[in-house]
Amino acid sequence: MPMLELDGATKRFGAAHALDGCTFTAAPGRLTGFLGPNGAGKTTAMRAVFGLVELDAGAVRWRGAPVGPAQRVQFGYMPEERGLYPRMPVRDQLVYLGELCGRSRPAVGQTVDRWLERLGLADRADERVDALSHGNQQRVQLIAALVNEPELLVLDEPFSGLDPLAMAMMADLLAEVAAAGATVLFSSHQLDLVEDLCEDVVIVDHGRVVLSGTLDELRASVPERFVDIRHRGAAPAWSALPSVEVVEEEAGAVRLRVGRDADVDAVAAIARRTPEIISFSYEPPTLSELFRRAVIR
Amino acid sequence: MSGWRQGWLVARRELRERSRSPALWFGTVLMLGLVVVAIVVPAVLEDDHVTADVGFTGETPAGLREAVIGQGDAVDVTVRVHRYDGMAAGEDAVRADDVDVLVVGGRELVWRGDADEQLRAVVTGAIQVLAVQDRAAAAGIDPDVLAQLSAPVPVGNRELGTTAGRSPDDEAAAYAMSILLLIAVATYGQLVLTGVVQEKSSRVVEVLLARMPARNLLAGKVAGIGLLGLAQFAVTAVAALIATVAVESVDIPAISGDVLVWVVVWFVLGYAMYAVAYGAFGSLASRTEDASSIAAPVTTLLLVGYWASLFAMGDDPEGVGAQVASLVPVTAPFAMPGRIALGAAAWWEQLLAVALAGTAIAGLAVVAGRVYTRAILHTGARTRLRDVWRRAGTTEATETRSNPMDRSSTSATTLIALAAAAAVGGAVALTTSDVVIGVGAGAAVFAVVSRAGSARARHRSLHS
Repeated sequence: MPMLELDGATKRFGAAHALDGCTFTAAPGRLTGFLGPNGAGKTTAMRAVFGLVELDAGAVRWRGAPVGPAQRVQFGYMPEERGLYPRMPVRDQLVYLGELCGRSRPAVGQTVDRWLERLGLADRADERVDALSHGNQQRVQLIAALVNEPELLVLDEPFSGLDPLAMAMMADLLAEVAAAGATVLFSSHQLDLVEDLCEDVVIVDHGRVVLSGTLDELRASVPERFVDIRHRGAAPAWSALPSVEVVEEEAGAVRLRVGRDADVDAVAAIARRTPEIISFSYEPPTLSELFRRAVIR
Repeated sequence: MSGWRQGWLVARRELRERSRSPALWFGTVLMLGLVVVAIVVPAVLEDDHVTADVGFTGETPAGLREAVIGQGDAVDVTVRVHRYDGMAAGEDAVRADDVDVLVVGGRELVWRGDADEQLRAVVTGAIQVLAVQDRAAAAGIDPDVLAQLSAPVPVGNRELGTTAGRSPDDEAAAYAMSILLLIAVATYGQLVLTGVVQEKSSRVVEVLLARMPARNLLAGKVAGIGLLGLAQFAVTAVAALIATVAVESVDIPAISGDVLVWVVVWFVLGYAMYAVAYGAFGSLASRTEDASSIAAPVTTLLLVGYWASLFAMGDDPEGVGAQVASLVPVTAPFAMPGRIALGAAAWWEQLLAVALAGTAIAGLAVVAGRVYTRAILHTGARTRLRDVWRRAGTTEATETRSNPMDRSSTSATTLIALAAAAAVGGAVALTTSDVVIGVGAGAAVFAVVSRAGSARARHRSLHS
């Protein structure tokens, strides 16, 4: 049973449709990547979950029931525009945000201390937010979304502006939160990262869902496969076989597109015409390719 | 999670965070100091006037010294007599203000500048009494009988105010209260304004509103800053009461416990009304620098309301103008406490004014909550009130980033401007003994200082 469900969500700003019958679900214990080009309606959809945008039509449901203030205090949200009280001490601020969700002060305090410890900020707990470095402010912002031990965690571009170490930390943490049973939905433009991290993806364009499902299913359902061959020596005429298309070719490397039902042995036979194979892979399309196919410009 | 609890959490955060600020404590001490000084200093100055120094030179009739002191006692003037040898020494003493008047040979009074009428009456009275005694003795009248006949009769003074049973002192106290109310409502209203804008410009508001409805946030903010203001205001009112008792000017019925309670009630009502309006207008601004210009309509209404109530009151606290001013919610916070202090408001008027103000606040809260909810998440160029009203929702956020660490100098500027305006206005009002001119001068100073302050803020933001 899906935990989070957007059903026909529609929102117009003037003449523009930010959301146009946007429908998708997100399941517990999994990471759902929420993808789409800029202006596709990702932020509006996320804001709609938190009542920050009033929908013109459609609904947001949580465990089958419409979402209201009583549900939202069990959610965690990290907006794209990061924001905290700059002059408020870190721990006080996080405890305050947790209390707003209806949790008792001691309970929030424990959660906050655990996360501060986990993200290496325990010794900065009493400092003002504006005294922290940019990276540490990002960490505090993340904890702000976790102070109520949320059942649903929604993050708008959590990876933007992070250095590679911080990105790895964020990825581990999201996986950890999902593994603990929460429903995690996040938007991102880093498709490689989403591919590594997420079980499910939702791709939106012009306010509509153009592709959604588990990443494996989506990739498997596409009627083509890609063969990547790295080799030494002279290259044969790749397109000699029927139903093989050269996507990219450079010295010593080639990417071929073949039909899903193509004979793998026949494809492998082409590879063997090179003097020496360094690597050979037969794979469904990457998320980037799925994305480009789904979002036609 | 109830809305009340969220509202209380917001209010508690305001109290806790703002009480950390040294500026708050400095402001409280400054306000206390000003109020106490304003009450104590005039009383002390008045005390000085009841001692008079009288110089004697030349042939002075026997008994004149005692006669002058006796005459002085009759009108509560303590006379100190000094003796000078020679005219020159005496005149020097007058010039040096060592004595208020020099009596030459018991027949001539020498003043520095204009004569003090009261002191002249005391001294000439004493001289007349002595002359009468001398002539009576010459005419064979028993000096004891004469002394009995000519014993001075104490004559009191009473200054009539515009309202029966109240003096000009009461009126001054009523004016002081309404100025204090203006400063308090404006100060805490501005805190709400800058608080709202800071939450919006630092983007923390999106995090907050993901957890609670906008009305809880606005209500909690207004309540928290209001509680802070109430505490500060109540402390000031108590200090005023103590100072009044300490300098023994308790004969001012305008400053009494029940009047001060009403003043506090009207602070709460006036603050609630203007703070909610400030909060709604604050939500329209995206940058702290824009806060005061966007909220200018509220500030203008506040000042116009104050002046209107002052004019109405100055005319006749029991007149129709004052009656209307004390009932209309915009002017009532400044007019009604003054009328109550002067005993000019009937009980039903007081209740009606509270009911009207309460209704206005409730209506305003609905309107302001609607504006705030729709505008608070709209960033980018400033939001127009019209747009918020017309559209059924917020416009999608545009990408104008403002520095979240941006500190506002808006509230500081307004506070400085208000303090300067109050000081200059008060001084002018005292020296010209004309409240209208004083208020005009104060308003001019406020306008100049706040303009200069915002110009400086703009200049700084351009160069940072």
